[in-house]
Amino acid sequence: MSDVGGTPVLRAPAHQVSPRAVPFWTVSALIGDAVLVVAALVAWLLIPGVPSWVGLIVALAAALAVAHVVLMPRIRFRVHRWEVTDTAVHTREGWIGRQSRIAPLSRVQTVDSRQGALMRLFGLSSITVTTASAAGPITVDCLDQDTARDVVARLTAITAATADDAT
Amino acid sequence: MIPVPGDGWVRLSPRKLLLDPVKAVGQAIVPVVVALVGISQSDMRYWPFILPVAVLGPLVLGALPWLTTHYRLTDTQVQVRRGLLNKNTSTAPLDRVRSVDLEASLLHRVLGLQKVQIGTGVDDDRITLDALAAADAHALRTTLLRRRSLQASPGAAPAPPPAPADEAVEAGTGEPGGPAPVAPAPVAPLVPASVLLAQIDWSWLRFAPFSLGRLVLLAGAVGLLSQLGDDLPIWNEQAATSAWEWVTQFAVVAIVAVLVVGALAVWVVLAVAGYVAQWWRFRLVREHGSLHLTAGLFTTRSITVEEPKVRGVEMTEPLLLRLVGGAELSTLATGVENGVTQVLPPCPRAVAVGVGESVLEHPGPLTEDLVPHGAKARRRAWFRQLRHALDLVLVAAVAWWFLDLSWWWLLTLAGALVVLAAAAGEASYRHLGHALDHQHLVAGSGTLARVRTVLETDGIIGWVVSQSWWQRRIGLADLIATTAAGNERVLVRDVRLEVAVALADRATPGLLAPFVVHTDALA
Repeated sequence: MSDVGGTPVLRAPAHQVSPRAVPFWTVSALIGDAVLVVAALVAWLLIPGVPSWVGLIVALAAALAVAHVVLMPRIRFRVHRWEVTDTAVHTREGWIGRQSRIAPLSRVQTVDSRQGALMRLFGLSSITVTTASAAGPITVDCLDQDTARDVVARLTAITAATADDAT
Repeated sequence: MIPVPGDGWVRLSPRKLLLDPVKAVGQAIVPVVVALVGISQSDMRYWPFILPVAVLGPLVLGALPWLTTHYRLTDTQVQVRRGLLNKNTSTAPLDRVRSVDLEASLLHRVLGLQKVQIGTGVDDDRITLDALAAADAHALRTTLLRRRSLQASPGAAPAPPPAPADEAVEAGTGEPGGPAPVAPAPVAPLVPASVLLAQIDWSWLRFAPFSLGRLVLLAGAVGLLSQLGDDLPIWNEQAATSAWEWVTQFAVVAIVAVLVVGALAVWVVLAVAGYVAQWWRFRLVREHGSLHLTAGLFTTRSITVEEPKVRGVEMTEPLLLRLVGGAELSTLATGVENGVTQVLPPCPRAVAVGVGESVLEHPGPLTEDLVPHGAKARRRAWFRQLRHALDLVLVAAVAWWFLDLSWWWLLTLAGALVVLAAAAGEASYRHLGHALDHQHLVAGSGTLARVRTVLETDGIIGWVVSQSWWQRRIGLADLIATTAAGNERVLVRDVRLEVAVALADRATPGLLAPFVVHTDALA
């Protein structure tokens, strides 16, 4: 507070992810949660002699799942941001917690892009940048696939120019 | 049979022909004996056929690797060729050789052999030569490392003054409280052929019983004994019951006391024996720009870590060891199979600090005061431990409920756990801290052990600022410096967010600059 001259704050990275990430996250959360809730419901209905308060738990789980499906993608879309400068890559992610990751491009070892089946449906693509540290991979989730292609091209061009062993 | 290829290809030591069959026989002896017993009980006629196979099989199998393995050293590469049908050639460019480790089991040493492992900076990609004659192995190591240190830029340490003779800087034999028995003057590095940083001092044996690493071994041994005990005829239920009645005639307390004393005695003997076996003739030497560790009574180890690849050190003071003023030291290096290499046995703290400063070539990071993380961090440290205690109490409560035991005992247990948790929480807060000192990031951590991790800021290859929901509410964050060395991350836990950002910004100037804004007006 007062021991540091002018409080330094990590500003948010410049760009948001693709707006199509919201329906994508909604659908994938819906699929995952639906499986759990339906399984719980079926178990509750089929197993005889279950006390009635278990039904309350199932209802509560269903309510939580609905809240998750509705809220998570929107919060996450507001939080997730990314930026690639000529020297570094910076991302912010999370929806309950927050994680900011920064890596210098001079230490980047690989640049991968990934597109799952569902992501392809929404025209999305993720980029993962790894360094020599297992703790250091940086993922930019759910970019528009054209943007992702450009970013990968740019990252590979920059990192190819630095010939170090990056440790 | 298989001709030695020309062009400088060499076989491993012919004494490997003795080593491998002995190993093969050792591995095959149980199935072979079982088979022989089985057969001999059925029919004696097959003996003349089976015996030669049983004896010759391991011999031939053991000889094959020697016949089919060749290695050579060219001007630019180490090459190893192995395989009879599938030829397999591994090569390592000499300028990528990061470490050359020698290891010899008891069997190796009887035969005068050494196993050589050459690390090339890529994880899990080590070239193994098992086994070379000891003299060849040492020569190979010296050749590889000297060539590498010649290739390394000689301008790094400009014009070293005439060095004292080899190993002239002899470490003192170490009075416990006195000055650290290590090579002095880490600030102005001479570059003699080799400098002794530390060697075993048998007064350090007093630390052996306080280092609990070997307790796992003891537990294993006890487990094994108890399994054997199950099979002993005396240990059936009847015998146990009558023995118990016999025991209860005497003072139970006395029996327990004897057991405890006995266990302690066994522990002390085991710990001291283990310490002696592991650290016999321990020497840590700096030579050809590498740290070189040799130790071992039965299995000798010789580990070499290239100094430019050493990005930091970690000093650990486990609870018991700290009570008697001891510490352990590890180096954090990149490109080694396991980035954390323990370079000192449990030894006086002053020795660990001295060697650490010598390795870092900088005094301070291991002794200076750390910046504490404040009241909120203390609260989190307490709550973290209390939550663990609460988990245990919950589990215990469920068990109590099932077993229908007296709740009074549960309350006592809960009380004890809470007190323990509070102590652990306070301890873990006191170990918490950070500092930034002359290109070194220092992080304090640990609950029962006090751990201080020092990482060169040059070795930092990225940052993660992580906040859980609870941390966001009180403005704290975990700052993680990612690195290729050691455990690949250094964690500064529960530090105020703005302090974390400022720390990262100062540690790696320029990296965060585009992303940091200073809010003077708001401060």
